[in-house]
Amino acid sequence: MKEEVLQSIGSAGVQGIKKAELKKTFGKESDDILEGLAREEKIFIEKKGAAYFVWTRDNYILHLTENDPKFKLILNMLVGVSHSVARLKDHTQNLREEMERISLQDDEGRISDFETVFDKCLREAGTSIGWTPFSKVREKICQAGDLSRERFYLLAGDLVERNRDKYEISTGGQEGIVIRGMVHGFVRSV
Amino acid sequence: MMYAYGLEANPYPSSPTPTEKDARILGGKRHKEAKGAIVQCIKELNGKIQGRDCADNDFRVITVIQDVGSGKTHLALHIKNLKGHYNTECSFVDLSTISPKTMPGIYNAIIKGFDNGFFVELRAKFLSYIGERAEQGDGSAKKALNYTMMNRLTGMTVKEKVADIISGKEVPPVEGLKQFLVQRFSYHEAAFIRSVITNSFEAVQNLEEMIGMVSALSRLSHRFLGKITLLEVDEFDGNRDSIEFVKGVINSHLPACVLLIISTPSGYAEVQGANSSVFDRLEKANYKIDLAGSNSKEELAEIAAEYIRHNDKHGRFTRQMEDELAGKIQVLYEEFPEFRSVRSVINILYHSMEKSSQMGLDKVDEGTIDDAIRQTYPGLRVRGSIMDVPISDFIAIRNNFGAPSSDRDLREAVRNLTSLAEEMGSISRIENQNLPLDILYQDPYGARVGLVVVTGTDGKESLEGLSNMAKSAVVDKLVILTDKRIPSPYNATVVNVDKSKLVDLLYFSSKYNDKKIGQSDNARAEMLAKTLCII
Repeated sequence: MKEEVLQSIGSAGVQGIKKAELKKTFGKESDDILEGLAREEKIFIEKKGAAYFVWTRDNYILHLTENDPKFKLILNMLVGVSHSVARLKDHTQNLREEMERISLQDDEGRISDFETVFDKCLREAGTSIGWTPFSKVREKICQAGDLSRERFYLLAGDLVERNRDKYEISTGGQEGIVIRGMVHGFVRSV
Repeated sequence: MMYAYGLEANPYPSSPTPTEKDARILGGKRHKEAKGAIVQCIKELNGKIQGRDCADNDFRVITVIQDVGSGKTHLALHIKNLKGHYNTECSFVDLSTISPKTMPGIYNAIIKGFDNGFFVELRAKFLSYIGERAEQGDGSAKKALNYTMMNRLTGMTVKEKVADIISGKEVPPVEGLKQFLVQRFSYHEAAFIRSVITNSFEAVQNLEEMIGMVSALSRLSHRFLGKITLLEVDEFDGNRDSIEFVKGVINSHLPACVLLIISTPSGYAEVQGANSSVFDRLEKANYKIDLAGSNSKEELAEIAAEYIRHNDKHGRFTRQMEDELAGKIQVLYEEFPEFRSVRSVINILYHSMEKSSQMGLDKVDEGTIDDAIRQTYPGLRVRGSIMDVPISDFIAIRNNFGAPSSDRDLREAVRNLTSLAEEMGSISRIENQNLPLDILYQDPYGARVGLVVVTGTDGKESLEGLSNMAKSAVVDKLVILTDKRIPSPYNATVVNVDKSKLVDLLYFSSKYNDKKIGQSDNARAEMLAKTLCII
C-alpha cells in the first residue's frame, strides 16, 4: 500500500494532493504510512488554507519555487553563486589551458635555445677534423648558464637523437652520451 | 643454392672486420668521395715525380678520422686493392695487431703488409739491374751474381745467370752482393736490396734503422718500378711507440710516399694529449679525409645496395627492391641504436641473406631480418613495447607510418582494444548518440567515458569542440588519444600515443582482426588499455 500511496502523491504533480483525499482512498492506515514517508523525506506535508496537502520531494521543490517568494529568492541567490563558481571554474580552466599552451611553447623555446647555444659552442670548440669532445661543449654551456652536467647530457642526448642527420657522435672519451652502454664522448656537426 | 635477388652467393661479408677481399666493393656516396680524395692525392704525387728522381718533398700525409665501424678500414683496404690502377704499392699496417709495438715489430708489419708480388717484382728488377751492370763489364756486379769464368766458357750468358737466380735455381753470394751494393747504394738501400734478393729481412734495431729501411723501400720502389709507396697505418692512437713511429716517418719525408693515418676521434684526441708535436704534424696533413655522414641511413642503404648490385649478374635487383631494402634499413637505423654503423648493418644483412636462402625467398623480408636479429642480437627488443611486438612486425608497421590509411587504422585499433576490454568485462559500451566521440562507454566505476582519437589531420576547431564538450555534462570523463602535443581541455585526460604505443596498438589490432589474441595477449592488451587510460 505504501507504494500505491506514494504513486498517488507523485501523480498529483506540483499541485500536491489533499491528505483528506488520501485518507478517503486508502483508509485510516494512510496516516501511519504518510508519517513514515515524511520521516524518510520522500514526501512533504504542508497546511494550505484549511487543508493539509502532500507532495513528493521533487514536486515540493518545484511548488516552493513557483509559490514561495522567500524560497525563490534564496534559490536565485544560490544559482547566481553557482553560476559565478562555474564561470570562475571556466575561467580557471581557460587559464590552465593557456598556461599549458605557454608551457609547451616554453619547453620548445628552451629546447630551441639549447640547440642554438649548443651549435654555437660546437662551432667555437671545433677542431680541424670537425670532431669536438662533448666535455668542451659541456664546460662552455654549463659555465654560461645554470645547467648541471646531468641536465646537459640529457638535453644533448635528446638533441642528437632528434637530429641524427645534423650531428654525428663517436665513441671514447671520459664523458659523453651513453648509447648501448658505450660512452660517446665526441660530437660533430655534419 | 640461390640467394635473395637471384644472387649466386651471399654478397655481404661475415667477418667482424673487413678483409682485402671484402673491400673490393665500396659503396656509399661519402665513402666514394673519400676514395676520390685519396686517389686525387696519389695522382697528384704521381704526376709530380714522373720522369725524375724522387726527393724529400715528395711525401704526403692523409688522415682519416671517424668513429668505429664507419668503414675507415674498409676504405683503406679498398685503396690497397687499387694499386694497379694508380701505380702504387701499398702496405696496410694494423697497429692494434702489433704487441708490443716495438720498432722491429712495426717494421715487420710494414714488410708483411705489402703483397708478396711486390717483392718478387722488385727482386727481379734488382737482379736485372745487377745483370745489366755485369754485361757492361762491372766486375763487382759479376761477383754479386757469381757469374764466373766457367759460366762464360760453358756459354752461359749473364741474362741466363740472372734468370736462374730469379727462378731460385741459384743463390747469389751474400758477400759479393754486399760488396757490389755498398759501392752504388746508400747503407740502407744496400741492406734493403740485399734483403729482397736473399728474401730475408733482418730485424731492425731502432727507429732510425727502420726509417732508413722504409725510406730505401719507397725510393727504390720508385726508381726501379716507377711506383709510389702507400703506407696505411690503421688504429693509430696515443700509444707512445706508435706516436714515435709516425713522428719519425713524417719527419723523415719518405720519398715518393703517401702516409695514410687512420684513427678515431678518440684516438686523435689521445695523440693530441700525448704528443702535441705529432698532433701538430697531423693537423697539417695534406689531405684530411672527411667521412662525415658515413653512418647516415642514406649511406648505409647505398652501401647495402652496392653489395647486391656488384653481385647481381642478371640485373634482377630492381629499383623497387632497392627502395624496399632501404626502407627496412631506415627503420632499423631509426629505432635501434645498434644498427647505426656500416658494420652492424652489414652483419645483419649477411645473416638475413643466409636466412632468405634457406627459406628460398626471392628477397630479404622483415621475417628474415627478425630471425637474423634474434640470432645476432638475442637480447634485442623493441623499446617500450607492451605487446612484445616482434621486430619483423615492428618494421612492417613502421614502414606504413604516414600512409593515408594510418589514421583510420589507429581509430580501428582503439575500437578493437575497447571491444576486447568490453569482452573482458572491464568496460561497457554505450550507444554514441551522434556525439563527436570515437567511443562512449561506462568504466568499471560507472562513469561515462568518452574516447576521442586526435591525429595530425584534425584541426584546431575539433580541439575546441572537444574542450566545450568536456565542460558540459555529456561525459564524466574525456580521454583524448593523440600523437600531437596538445593542451588538455577541462575534465579531459590527454594520452600521448608515441611511436611505440602506436606500434603496439596496430600490432594488437592486426592480431585481433585475425582472431589470434591468445591468453598472454589478453594480459598485455589489458596493460596497453591501462597505459592508454581506457580502463
